[in-house]
Amino acid sequence: MTQLQSSSAATAGAPIKLREMLEQCEVRLAETGCYDGVTKLTLKAESPLKYESLHTRLRSSVVSARETSKRISASPGVREVGESVVGLYTPEGDSVVFSFGIMVHVHTMSRFIKWMVRNDYQDDPGIRPGDIFANNDAFIGNVQVPDVMDVVPIFYNGELIAWAGAVCHELEVGGVTPGGDVYLAQERFTEGLFVCAEKIGENDQIRRDYLIRVERNLRSPIYWILDEKAKVSACLEVREKVLELVEEVGVDYFKRATKEYIEEGRRAHLERMKVQTVPGRYRGATFFGHLYKNKPGVLPMANKDQLVPIPVDLTIDRNGLMTLDFEGTGPWGWNSNNCCEAAMEGGFFVSLTQFMDFDGKVNDGAWLATRLRLPSGTWTNPDSIMVATACSWALLLPAFGTYHRLMSRAFLARGFKEEIFVGQVNTPFFEGGGISQYGTRFGGSNFELAAGGSGARGIMDGLDTGYAGWNPESDMGNVEIWELSLPILYLGRKIWPDSAGAGRFRGGAGFTSLYKIHHTPMFMLTTAIHSGKVFDNAGMCGGYPAPTALYHYAIRDTNLTELIAAQKPLPHFEGDPHDPDPRRLVQGDFEFSEGGYIGRPFKDGDLFEHFYNAGGGYGDPIERDPELVRKDLENGIVTPRAARQIYHVDAHSDDGRTYNVDVAKTEQLRSEERRQRLAGGVPVSEWRKQERERILNREFVPEVLEMYRDSMHLSSKWKDEFATFWQLPADFSI
Amino acid sequence: MASAVRRPLVLGIDAGGTMTDTFIVDEEGNFEVGKAATTPQDESVGFLESTQDAISYWEGMKLEELFPKLSVVLYSGTTMLNTLLSRRGQKVGLLVTNGFEDMLLMNRGLIWAGYGYADTLHAVTHIHPEPLTPKRWIHGITERIDMFGDQVIPLYEAEVQQAARELLTAGVDAVAICFLFSYLNPVHERRAKEIVESVSKEVGREVPVFLSSEIRPVMREQSRLNSLLIEAYAAAPVRQQLLKVQQRIHDYGFPNPLQTVLSYGGLSNIRYPRLHETLVSGPIGGILGAQYIARLIGADNVMVTDMGGTSFDIGAITAGSVPVDPEPILARFKLNLPTIALESIGAGSGTIIKVDPATAKVELGPESAGADPGPVCFDRGGKLATVCDCAVVLGYLNPEYFLGGRIKLNVEAALGALREQVTDPIGVDVYQGAEGIMRLLELRARDALKTVASARGLNTSDYVLMAYGGSGPLHVAGYTEGLTFKGILTFPFAAAFSAFGCSIADYLHRYTKSMHLFLSPAASTEAKLEVGRAINAAWEEMERTALEEMRVEGRELGKVDFQHLAMIRYAAQLTDLEVQSSMSRIDSPEDMDRLIESWEALYEKINSRVSKYSEAGYQIFELGLLARIEKVKLRFQEQELGSETPDSSASKGTRSVFRDGQWQEVRLWEMDLLKPGNVIEGFAIIEHPATTFVIPPGRRAEVDERNFLWLR
Repeated sequence: MTQLQSSSAATAGAPIKLREMLEQCEVRLAETGCYDGVTKLTLKAESPLKYESLHTRLRSSVVSARETSKRISASPGVREVGESVVGLYTPEGDSVVFSFGIMVHVHTMSRFIKWMVRNDYQDDPGIRPGDIFANNDAFIGNVQVPDVMDVVPIFYNGELIAWAGAVCHELEVGGVTPGGDVYLAQERFTEGLFVCAEKIGENDQIRRDYLIRVERNLRSPIYWILDEKAKVSACLEVREKVLELVEEVGVDYFKRATKEYIEEGRRAHLERMKVQTVPGRYRGATFFGHLYKNKPGVLPMANKDQLVPIPVDLTIDRNGLMTLDFEGTGPWGWNSNNCCEAAMEGGFFVSLTQFMDFDGKVNDGAWLATRLRLPSGTWTNPDSIMVATACSWALLLPAFGTYHRLMSRAFLARGFKEEIFVGQVNTPFFEGGGISQYGTRFGGSNFELAAGGSGARGIMDGLDTGYAGWNPESDMGNVEIWELSLPILYLGRKIWPDSAGAGRFRGGAGFTSLYKIHHTPMFMLTTAIHSGKVFDNAGMCGGYPAPTALYHYAIRDTNLTELIAAQKPLPHFEGDPHDPDPRRLVQGDFEFSEGGYIGRPFKDGDLFEHFYNAGGGYGDPIERDPELVRKDLENGIVTPRAARQIYHVDAHSDDGRTYNVDVAKTEQLRSEERRQRLAGGVPVSEWRKQERERILNREFVPEVLEMYRDSMHLSSKWKDEFATFWQLPADFSI
Repeated sequence: MASAVRRPLVLGIDAGGTMTDTFIVDEEGNFEVGKAATTPQDESVGFLESTQDAISYWEGMKLEELFPKLSVVLYSGTTMLNTLLSRRGQKVGLLVTNGFEDMLLMNRGLIWAGYGYADTLHAVTHIHPEPLTPKRWIHGITERIDMFGDQVIPLYEAEVQQAARELLTAGVDAVAICFLFSYLNPVHERRAKEIVESVSKEVGREVPVFLSSEIRPVMREQSRLNSLLIEAYAAAPVRQQLLKVQQRIHDYGFPNPLQTVLSYGGLSNIRYPRLHETLVSGPIGGILGAQYIARLIGADNVMVTDMGGTSFDIGAITAGSVPVDPEPILARFKLNLPTIALESIGAGSGTIIKVDPATAKVELGPESAGADPGPVCFDRGGKLATVCDCAVVLGYLNPEYFLGGRIKLNVEAALGALREQVTDPIGVDVYQGAEGIMRLLELRARDALKTVASARGLNTSDYVLMAYGGSGPLHVAGYTEGLTFKGILTFPFAAAFSAFGCSIADYLHRYTKSMHLFLSPAASTEAKLEVGRAINAAWEEMERTALEEMRVEGRELGKVDFQHLAMIRYAAQLTDLEVQSSMSRIDSPEDMDRLIESWEALYEKINSRVSKYSEAGYQIFELGLLARIEKVKLRFQEQELGSETPDSSASKGTRSVFRDGQWQEVRLWEMDLLKPGNVIEGFAIIEHPATTFVIPPGRRAEVDERNFLWLR
């Protein structure tokens, strides 16, 4: 076993175990309020230039290592849309610097390292120079099985001084259905290949027996294997650079500086909170409609539709400390939409980096300056590791989208209107497997979802087709690459009209892809994961939510060949949802399916249309500049119907390509709308009375009834607040 | 020196947004620098004026004598980039595969492209770049080629006819066509072009038609489309300018075609069909020059900064090599075009000052007054106050010595414009306001410099900073303030540095050919030979093309040096790695093994041993060839370091300059009369006909053996 030298003054000279270092680090944080007891930023004060220069160079080492890993990868997920991240950690597992990419995993990797430290991996299986450890178990420190992480210890003169880590999102994991996100997983045992904090390599090489396991348990092992090599290469590159810098600045300087960076990150976060927000309690909620009933392949205990409530309670105190609480949310379920603590923490962390902590010392310091409460037994913190988390983003994204809106209110309260962001959205993936266009067995995902629409902003529209909550570098990739990796032929990839939540500033538009299944006798495809029946991404300050529906068009046994031969019009996207092109233009076995898609396999010539989600709006749509509506009409982001009915804009076109707006008529329409709104409103007290009656009479559809029952069962605190607010009798229950 | 003994060889020009610079080298390696205002309406005018300025130092030399003696004339410039940045290009109609009409609006979702670390994370700052062509001029055409290159849906020709008619009626200047997988099978694009051409004949309005399969025949449709549009939108108008320049120099007796600089540093003829590859030719020239000087002075790491009238460009050389980005982001568009890595922001002396009437907030640019009409002080009709006008009223620029006195700067006009447009509306003293604005420009440039260092992970204290461009020496002390560099260096020819850089570039053409070769790890002897034969055939074909092109350009074919390239990857990988083959032909299985071994050795060196995976086999999707002919390079004469005190003849007396809120007397020096070893203590200004070098109080300038100037 390698002996480690303590970096702390308290135990200087004595051999110390990693676990004790971690525990002491936590004790010192509790005692001093500062990370690892770093109460003074000594090195920063001594020479700010040297201190900043080391930070810049460490960060550049992880940024450039990620570029290296992209070159090695075979996966379009990593190479094409940047589904990877590289980070540097303290021996205790706290992040110091990290690259761009799927930042959510900066923090999940931290949990993974700490898990090994707490479980005395130092003794068994041992932590030695050249070792490689991998994990994709969410309950150890991860979000879902496809996020496979590798870490390597960095030793200097026999002492472990840091860890380098890298994550890639895999497009095939060998689960019950082909692909990475495995929508149909209902228990851990159907999610795919697990690697549970395993030593997969020694002497800077990945073990052959590990690669054999991967080769024999996946549908397309080449992606996983080359990604594994890509990650380890990235870690080794970081290790080399770190050791070079340690030689230059001295090991004591390095160890102290990395701690100071984290402490500085912690302090900076609290300062920003104090400057940019108003202390107080901010509350919000969103809901997720989970349509699972009678889907093929669903197990008996999972066979139901479900409405998941996601109440979010944010408290900011006078010192800038925020506490985020999910009290009152629903239970975990026999489906793939559960999260675990690491995933929720990761979601929180990535939100912080987009909102507050994007500059300066971006690391786990910000995380240390926050509190997250995840009630046990809920989907946010299941009390059993048997639970599946394959599609945990389904609930995680709307949960933190709500958090974005709460933070936006805190910014707005302080006057930082330009920081308002109506929030991240949940957008569904598309994946499958079967026989590829090359005639081989395969599985894989299409990761074009990494560029949906975002929520609106306080001073402008949301991002059209350019946002992914988990990765600031949104990217939908090239069609010419996706068609290499899946047996599909795109008939269209276009902006989804009217998908953007309306508002004075509208949400970002989503997009839609219509695929012809191509060059295969058998392609089994699935999709998930945004909410059906109810919206999971609201608007703000009068803005509308984005789509409330999740649906697909599937057409089998089409007459496409005849249509093409006769040069008849072909479907390229949905068109008018009341008379969709895939049904209007094509003959065949037409299927309209709500919720995540799972169905019979497809074959060459069949069609499938899938929709990627959009963001909620900000402000009242009738306050939107008519000129912006005109531009949206020309760009196909808004339909003439929505321009008239939602924005109350009078617009005309002769050719369907250019539009004119009648400003005076528009003003008239808007005045009329205001008048009608006033005429149709009721006083809040009246509305509240009516709603109370409905509650007392339990006038709920079964899914809502079950939702309330679950929340009351899981949280007496939530039940009490609910009862107090609605002035319900003491013995009220559902 | 008398013109009789001069044997001029190479003439480099760099047409910036504001000034056109000339750099002439003779066979002895001596050089002269010329400068004139850029003439955007007809660049040949500024070009000839600038050339005339350079040879005015050669007694009696006339343009008619100069041009027949020259063997190379090189053009570089930022016209194309400026056209793109300011969205002043052609009206382009676009035909895409039906169902992909939103490709430009969606732009692959890369809304963060071109951002620094913090803004990349900070989602609310992200915006899409403005598309180069509006949706109303984009038509979807039903057709499809698949990933095997096979036709799945035939071209619906009637749709092409209809679209062509509508676009021509809408008045587009050009039609661009980008269909999916056209790089594999261009048959639909070619047929669509024929149809557009026949419709345009029919309606009597002929416009150029551009095909993605000709402009950028490579995988990844978004990058291909971006290249295509830039070619149609911005390159075509520039080519007209270049042809005009070429015509003028032919009139003066220059026998060869005009050359220009490609994104990866090579030279090509201006008739080159993919002119968008010269998008950043000026700045690329600068980096080539910086690399040459870095070798001379023994600096491994260099950051280069080029500030002219319009833009501020930043590049870096690390460990002697210039990074080439295979998928660069230019003007916020992702391209699939190997390009020397550099960043650019709109900031220069011609940058226009704007005041928001509602908030009295001062903003700089990004628009520039350019050369025409230019800053107010040029007295050429420019009405909008610029940073240059601030420098004049503050006393930094000598109104009698701009371009050696050829442009008299009108201080009163500059003062009036600044007062009226800027300082009165915001309610400050005109001099204090002007000083603040100059500072604002320098801070912006400094932030950009810091962003590049941060994004590329460069530790500035390991780097020598080179400052050039006409305004570089004027602002370098300001934009490097508070940053640590190994040294800060500028040059007597700073104003024509990019032209200098072009003049030292070699004749270099790069050719590539798409292939689809696979070599299994257990390949038989025959399989290896078969792959070898395919490689040889491709290399031979490219050699033939290269020799033919070089012949047409009038090169000595005996001097062509070929480097054979193979772009190899493990099967299934999505990125290949280019290796230079030590063999010009693969004649045996052992040769094939050697090629793979050399590739794998390079791969391991770059990516580490663990990343090897020969079990997957090898794929070759592309082969390449570099054809190079070396060109004469100038030699900088080295002299002994002499006295620290400059000759009294170099002193030009003093002038009042407004700095730090007060008027101060500044010592003035003539740059061309300073000698190696001289030290100039700040506060001082060193003047040159083409540039002005400011040494702030507390700093000093040292002249080295080659007459380069170091700011300490």
